Amino acid sequence: MKKNRTYHKKKTVIVFAACICMLLGLVGRMVYLMVFQSDYYAKKAEELHERERDIKAARGKIIDANGTVLAANKTVCTISVIHSQITDKDAVIAMLQKELGLDEETARKRVEKVSSIERVKTNVEKEVGDRIRNYGLDGVKVDEDFKRYYPYDTLASKVLGFTGGDNQGIIGLEVMYEDVLKGIDGKILTTTDARGVELDEIGESRVDPVSGYNLHISLDRNVQMYAEQAAKKVMEQKQADAVSILLMNPQNGEILAMVNTPEFDLNEPFKLNTSEDTSGMTDKEKQDAWNGMWRNLCINDTYEPGSTFKIITAAAGLEEGVVTLNDTFSCPGYKVVEDRRIHCHKRTGHGGETFLQGAMNSCNPVFIEVGLRLGVDNYYKYFKQFGLMEKTGIDLPGEAATIMHQKKNVGQVELATISFGQSFQITPIQLATTVSSIINGGTRVTPHFGVEVRDDDGKLIETLAYEKKKHIVSQETSETMQYILENVVSGGSGKNAYIEGRTIGGKTATSQTLPRSANRYISSFLGFTPTDNPQVLGLIVIHDPQGVYYGGTIAAPVMKEIFENILPYLGVEG
Amino acid sequence: MELRRGFPGPRQTGSDCLQKDTEPKRQADELLLILVLFLVVFGLIILYSTSAYNGRVKFDDPAYYFKKQLFATALGLLGMYISSCVDYHWLAKYAPWGYLASLLLSLAVLFFGDEYNGSKRWLSIGPLSFQPAEFAKVAVILLLAYVISNSKSKKNGLLSMGKIMLLILPIVGLVGTNNLSTAIIILGIAVILIFVSNPKYLPFIWIGGLGIAFVGIFLSMESYRLERLAIWRDPEKYDKGFQTIQGLYAIGSGGIFGKGLGSSLQKLGFVPEAQNDMIFSIICEETGLVGACILILVFGLLIWRLMVIATHATDLLGALIAIGIMGHMAIQVILNIAVVTNTIPNTGITLPFISYGGTSVLFLLSEMGLALSVSRYQK
Repeated sequence: MKKNRTYHKKKTVIVFAACICMLLGLVGRMVYLMVFQSDYYAKKAEELHERERDIKAARGKIIDANGTVLAANKTVCTISVIHSQITDKDAVIAMLQKELGLDEETARKRVEKVSSIERVKTNVEKEVGDRIRNYGLDGVKVDEDFKRYYPYDTLASKVLGFTGGDNQGIIGLEVMYEDVLKGIDGKILTTTDARGVELDEIGESRVDPVSGYNLHISLDRNVQMYAEQAAKKVMEQKQADAVSILLMNPQNGEILAMVNTPEFDLNEPFKLNTSEDTSGMTDKEKQDAWNGMWRNLCINDTYEPGSTFKIITAAAGLEEGVVTLNDTFSCPGYKVVEDRRIHCHKRTGHGGETFLQGAMNSCNPVFIEVGLRLGVDNYYKYFKQFGLMEKTGIDLPGEAATIMHQKKNVGQVELATISFGQSFQITPIQLATTVSSIINGGTRVTPHFGVEVRDDDGKLIETLAYEKKKHIVSQETSETMQYILENVVSGGSGKNAYIEGRTIGGKTATSQTLPRSANRYISSFLGFTPTDNPQVLGLIVIHDPQGVYYGGTIAAPVMKEIFENILPYLGVEG
Repeated sequence: MELRRGFPGPRQTGSDCLQKDTEPKRQADELLLILVLFLVVFGLIILYSTSAYNGRVKFDDPAYYFKKQLFATALGLLGMYISSCVDYHWLAKYAPWGYLASLLLSLAVLFFGDEYNGSKRWLSIGPLSFQPAEFAKVAVILLLAYVISNSKSKKNGLLSMGKIMLLILPIVGLVGTNNLSTAIIILGIAVILIFVSNPKYLPFIWIGGLGIAFVGIFLSMESYRLERLAIWRDPEKYDKGFQTIQGLYAIGSGGIFGKGLGSSLQKLGFVPEAQNDMIFSIICEETGLVGACILILVFGLLIWRLMVIATHATDLLGALIAIGIMGHMAIQVILNIAVVTNTIPNTGITLPFISYGGTSVLFLLSEMGLALSVSRYQK
């Protein structure tokens, strides 16, 4: 038997010391993991344990100038199944078939799919959701949330827009004011074990949703409704393709109504408003049909403005001093520019006339002459000064830009055609805004709907402000334009818009669309009242009317009718 | 027959037992006993906390694992009491027979063993199952302590060391076929015992170098072993790193003070078989860095006590038994914690007294009894 010698003991201590060193090393490793890496791993673990369900935030309402709600929310339910919690599979499948109208195969697929939570159907009516909840089946979840709801269905459809499956805006104000309206979604967090079973003892934590703010807009439901009726009437009478009507306050750019018939049903935005059958369409054809239906012609599309553009030519000429009211012109029925003979709409000619009379007659040679006197440089200077070359900045998505000749390509012929509103394209909103700015004393306004942002208790959150550019024309020119346009209505081509006891200013237009050979026209009328202090400006554009197509004949009377009805309602006098 | 030559029979050394300095001189080491009892109680609490979910899910009984462990612990405490009363000199005489038995049992596992999680490690006797590899560790400690302390050779050369290593190769091979980790532990214990018994240092540096080279060749021989290395370096990238990553999530989410006893979420099926090898990660999650450090401290104190017993032993036999037990304890604790914290590549090693496993706790407690027995003969 050997003895336990000193070197044995020494080596024992060495082994021990080595072990302790290694243990200390491991302690160091643990400090690293549990102090410095703790947050990282804890977060990863939490992601693993938590099942998250969103609670949709209530989207803010869109409210008109009178406080009428135009876009609201309605409670709907989302039905989900949780695979691991289902006890009676067949009962769940039968219930889904009965209540949600699913076929058996689809229902079975949903129920048998191994996932932590499987969404079966969204946007289920609340009564159906309540019924499903009353079955009391394990593993079936009924979550309530909100669906966008438009009480007036088609009213101002292309202005308001609608929302998609996740309650996000798709077109119109719903897109533009997404950040204001959407609110912040809440969450329900539940902790589960590895099989996905919720742990009741930990319970669920809730992050409450924050409702979106309400958007108060300048649009007036009554005015909009009346304008829509008028647009519909004239569209049917003239078998037109489309009719757009814009009513705005020329002083501040607030839009009272924006009509684009045919409108569509906001509560069923994917149902075509024509009788077309979508079943045979390819996806692309369907998408194109929808896009066409959703287009807001007032802002998304440009057109040749025709004679209404003479307002801009006149204002530029007056401002530059190349023409005065009493300058005289002679119209033989055409004007020769370079090698072209450009006709007046009155082939027999207007004869001798002053500038005022030329404007009242909407005489093309007069305006060609003014345009030529201005010259390309001056003309373009005013286009820029009036804000015509830029977008208006309206608070709707997809505004189209002005399509104008490049300055270097403009010769005398082009200059002549521009001066009476042909050979280029602008949007109706651009025309209405530019004319507003010319007749309101010379302040370029930004057309808009949004006025205020308030919370649901009515507390003011934000007053929306818009850019204004002063002195785009002088006060004097502005007043002269008011006078000219009043005369156009009281005794000129716009006389069909004349209302006894009121001062109405305006200008008619009839333009042929491209290609000219198709003989399709756009007739329009732009009017405002009262002339010395304009409060309402309206623009009606009738696309491809059948039969008589002169703006003065078919468009002006519609604006007259609208003015007659809405002016007393709005309390506008004079 | 060659093996037989290495076995010094009991007859040859029978007279040693009668030497007068082998009479027990004092009480068993109380501190060691207290530390062991602390670990056993702490282990049972943690085991219940960790295994309740798995027990409920698999056996509809949250206490399923706890009950089995409690039974094994009771047996183990009995084993500890008996072995602490037995004179280790007397017991050591049967070491060769014990070693032979462990060889036969390990052989039996190869033919009649139960497979669980893809490894054949258990022998069933009625309702009880038994893991021969756990017994093999004790058998090897006793055998080597006995052989080294009784060798007549004065030489301390490589040859005698090699002879001793040859002795244990059969058991390492047998155990290693199904349980590589235990084979490594057995080898580790052997190396420690030879190191302590030999006055030289230099040869061990050679052995260390050879060992590293061997491990390198061994690893590169099979691609799945290299894959294990890759998983170790970036466990989040590999599906097989799942267990490691879940363990790290548990450790990390424990933070400094832990979530509180019973509050682990990772034990709810995320860490697979949380009551087994990975139990330390749940300790970290529930008791935090503080709790885990206290546990490491207790293990450290236990190893220190075993060292004290070894250095105070009256003879080399007692010293080597205590050192073997100390080595066994230290290797398992260090490797287990190193694996759970992903300090080294994953290999299945249980945490002494804490991890679920009846055979393990039974033999660990019996080993502690042996150490207590050695402590009774201290100078």
